[in-house]
Amino acid sequence: MPRTIHLHPFTILAVAVAVVSTTTAASQWWLSCAVLGLCLLISGWAGQLKKLSVLSGAMLLPTLLSLLLIHGLVSRDNSPAIAQWGPVRVTVHGLEVALSLGLRTAVLVVVGLLCGLLIDKHQLVAAIDLSPVPPQLGYLLAATHFLLPQMGEKQRRIGEAQTLRRVGTGKGVTGWFQRVRLRAVPLVLASMQDAQDRAVHLSARGFPAIGTRTRLRTVPDSSAQRAIRWIAIVVAVLGPVLILVLAQLGSKS
Amino acid sequence: MSPNLLLSEETSTQNLRRRLLAIAGTVILVATYLTLIITQPTGIAEGLGQGVALGTFAAYLVAAVLLLLAVLSDLQVSTLTLIPVALALNIILGQFVGSVMVPLYLDSIGTVIVGFLAGRRAGAATGVLSTLVWSLFAPTVLPFAAGAALVGFLAGTAARFGALRRVYLAPVAGLVAGVLVGVVSSPVATFVYGGTSGVGTGAVVAAFRSMGDSLLSAVTKQALISDPGDKAVVFLIAALLVYALPQRLSGSFAFVRRYRVLGKRVSK
Repeated sequence: MPRTIHLHPFTILAVAVAVVSTTTAASQWWLSCAVLGLCLLISGWAGQLKKLSVLSGAMLLPTLLSLLLIHGLVSRDNSPAIAQWGPVRVTVHGLEVALSLGLRTAVLVVVGLLCGLLIDKHQLVAAIDLSPVPPQLGYLLAATHFLLPQMGEKQRRIGEAQTLRRVGTGKGVTGWFQRVRLRAVPLVLASMQDAQDRAVHLSARGFPAIGTRTRLRTVPDSSAQRAIRWIAIVVAVLGPVLILVLAQLGSKS
Repeated sequence: MSPNLLLSEETSTQNLRRRLLAIAGTVILVATYLTLIITQPTGIAEGLGQGVALGTFAAYLVAAVLLLLAVLSDLQVSTLTLIPVALALNIILGQFVGSVMVPLYLDSIGTVIVGFLAGRRAGAATGVLSTLVWSLFAPTVLPFAAGAALVGFLAGTAARFGALRRVYLAPVAGLVAGVLVGVVSSPVATFVYGGTSGVGTGAVVAAFRSMGDSLLSAVTKQALISDPGDKAVVFLIAALLVYALPQRLSGSFAFVRRYRVLGKRVSK
């Protein structure tokens, strides 16, 4: 049973941004590995380890292979090659660059996905509604979040109905195009009709509302969390600058 | 009477604020792009390369969010209700296409439909929002928000200037849009990620690198191979879907009526 984390969604996001920016600026393999390990521990505590591992793997594997192809196998630096075959030239530096870029991307992917798994989407929508950002943004996020499963289900039913009609079963490019058409056209038409109906009802109710809004859902927050958010934002902006300046000074001395 | 039932009056301050946000977003985007193209930083994985990656990521994202804030309060309710449908279509149709092993992304059909029906501002907003929502499932797409905004903006511009009045004009507009999007997005792929995220596209970049191209040049050439074709197909599919809409639905959008987007084409 997945556990929920009782933090303000903006706190989680602010800390995640600070972690990603400082880890990227530091560019130390041990720090990146420590962050990745910590993320896996947190996801294990939250009961989301399997989901995080599968999602991260699906995104990172092709990225790592691509980076190995671009930097590892076709290295253009002057260091001695450890293997060379035609245009393929493998160097230690090239492999290091591929690994370093892979770790940089891995931190972004794993931290980002962990945020997506830990944050309760209802709380996020409520937090956006209660913040000073335009009310349209909260509506758009909430509507998309709830529409996605509905439209996924609608698309599945359309596919089943077309199969029952024994249409769209052809093979090759023509068959694929026919399947896309038979699924996409009813899905788009029905969804857009629904959107137009919703627009009439929302307009009648004066959306987007101006002035302060009352929400039944409250988002847990505290002065400590507000302080953490501010610190995280400062770290996210100034941390990388400080790290890069120190690194430059270190390389000159 | 409740203030919610009254149309809010647009003040010159709000108008000025929106214009300033749009200008700031565009300036940041163009300045970052030009800086990267002119300086072409080397050593993307060491030293200041980390700063370039973070700077590019932040600048492209901030520019996209500023452009979104500039247009968000300007959108009509009919457009606002259409955007979530477009975002869901981007994801669902993108996944369906991906599941049948067709070598196209087709993940911007919803954005292009909104651009065709509601104009370039709505299209750009849909592109940014689509990326922001999709980043909850795939964080690596976040710095490509500006490219997604450009797709929606160009779709709206193409529709405004008659790309939907003849069916063959839509893929031509898509082809042009693909070139521009590929050129704008390639610095992100180069300086933030050091290349591409797919094995096939990575092999193409590696091939160009082995011929002596710089990383930026190789990624841009790969983007110019992939993006125009993809966008041509997306624009064509989106145009066919818009043609299939009943006239009372497509005609309910002020943009379609004002610029005679569909010309003499009359849907049932």
